[in-house]
Amino acid sequence: MIVVENLTKSYGSKKAVDNLSFSVTSGRVTGFLGPNGSGKSTTMRCMLGLDKPDAGIATFDGRKYTDIESPLTHVGSLLDAGDAHKGRTARNHLRWIAMTNGISASRVDAVLQMVGMQDAARTKVGKFSLGMRQRLGLAVALLGDPKVVILDEPANGLDPEGIRWTREVMRHLANEGRSVLVSSHQLVELSLVADDLIVIGQGKLISSGPIGNFMTQHAKTWVRVVSPQFDALAALVTAQGGTVERTPDGGDFHAISAITVGNIAAANNIVLHELSPQTGSLEEAFLDATDASVEYRGQSTTTNVWDAPQP
Amino acid sequence: MIGVLKSELFKLRTTRATKIVVICSVALPAIIFGLTSAFAFTNGEVGDSLVSMVGNFAPLTGLLLGVVGVLCSTQEYSQGTIRITLVATPNRLKVFVAKLLTTLVVSVASALLMLLLCLLLSQVVLSTRNVTFELIGSDIRVLFSAVILSAFLSILGLSLGLIFKSSPGAISALLLWPTILEGMVFGLLSVAFDNNMMKFAPVQGNGFRLIATYVGTDENTWLVSLTYFSAFVAVFAVLGAVLFARRDA
Repeated sequence: MIVVENLTKSYGSKKAVDNLSFSVTSGRVTGFLGPNGSGKSTTMRCMLGLDKPDAGIATFDGRKYTDIESPLTHVGSLLDAGDAHKGRTARNHLRWIAMTNGISASRVDAVLQMVGMQDAARTKVGKFSLGMRQRLGLAVALLGDPKVVILDEPANGLDPEGIRWTREVMRHLANEGRSVLVSSHQLVELSLVADDLIVIGQGKLISSGPIGNFMTQHAKTWVRVVSPQFDALAALVTAQGGTVERTPDGGDFHAISAITVGNIAAANNIVLHELSPQTGSLEEAFLDATDASVEYRGQSTTTNVWDAPQP
Repeated sequence: MIGVLKSELFKLRTTRATKIVVICSVALPAIIFGLTSAFAFTNGEVGDSLVSMVGNFAPLTGLLLGVVGVLCSTQEYSQGTIRITLVATPNRLKVFVAKLLTTLVVSVASALLMLLLCLLLSQVVLSTRNVTFELIGSDIRVLFSAVILSAFLSILGLSLGLIFKSSPGAISALLLWPTILEGMVFGLLSVAFDNNMMKFAPVQGNGFRLIATYVGTDENTWLVSLTYFSAFVAVFAVLGAVLFARRDA
């Protein structure tokens, strides 16, 4: 189990992480979300002792990372897939890491096979695609067969098969009772695998808990209705405080539950072809939750920025 | 600690740049020395000039091994592996000591190999002309000093690498200070004070003087030079270790 308490880290006058507290439970995949520059990577680096926090502490099963003997056998991490010497082979890259924690050479070969890189074991890292480097990074994280796995953007650069494989690996690790903390911008992927979410913005905690709670709190919900008597139903729903949005084959009712709409239709003998509660995506929920803390925002393309006069 | 040491040695062994520099530090002096032996000592006498020549290669070997020291640290930053190194071994002092010992082992072994190759090569070349030589007490001191110089310069390189965190900066400092800047600074000071200030130059006036066969009256003795030079290197080693321990990776 990972516990982060009151973690604070500043670079000069900028607070990258601000009094951040959360916990990651064993046997669950916890998604770590936040806009660019929100402090996700800094938090992970502080947790692993790479950056020294100004205040606060991160513990793994009650121990600071820097106090753990042979830490790779307790905590596996992938921070940046590019962290490998380009002139070394994949196997040699894993071997020097294994030596530091007394991990056997046979385990090196095993993890290479696990990530599907046994044929590229003697290929130099410089010749790898980004996807291959991600797989090698995952191999590093799994090298010590750790109880806790921390992954920063593990699916970055992977093809669809690789993304699905990464998802399965994370699920498998959690099912084995390990704690998995994963940061990702691929929200659709994360929504498919994460059990819990930690959302931060400008270094501060925005939300923490099961993904369902986050969706209830931040995702939009509405009721989709298809009916030959749609206009009549719309009038009745509006009278009950709902709002209506027409679509080509029916409409969406907002601010009213599917049960209420169903009851109204039944009471007024209105025929329904479809009545389905709808929930927005994790992406929409995330954007809604972090809207106030987005530091770098692109201009909307609806203003046609590409046609703006050049300086 | 043994695991970290083995890992550091393995890292050095598996990078091409360090291998090339180590080979150059051994092979270049040996080749030059072999050629010199082939064309020198034509009068059939060697005297102390042979060992003096071997000693003269020590700064070249030492500086090249200093570059190995630089690469031992800066390559980790340029390739991003420093993060993995520190995640695998969070005790930074342990990592520093492992790097220091690795650099020392490689530099001492390389310097010894260079000396051995030079002497063997000259022995082979000279024996074809029936010229022989024997090592005497002062020769041993020169050869010993060549090894010490290489070891200290490699530590200096490692320390500069940890301070600068980039190969160009650290290698420039390692090569330019002793070869150009130090001579200029202490040369100007000598003129300004009308005194031999070169004896205060840490590398040229003391480090490189370790291998000198003669010591002038206004120069430091071998022991003073060794103490002065080792203190100079120690300052950089401590600075490098402190910065390495305190900086964010």
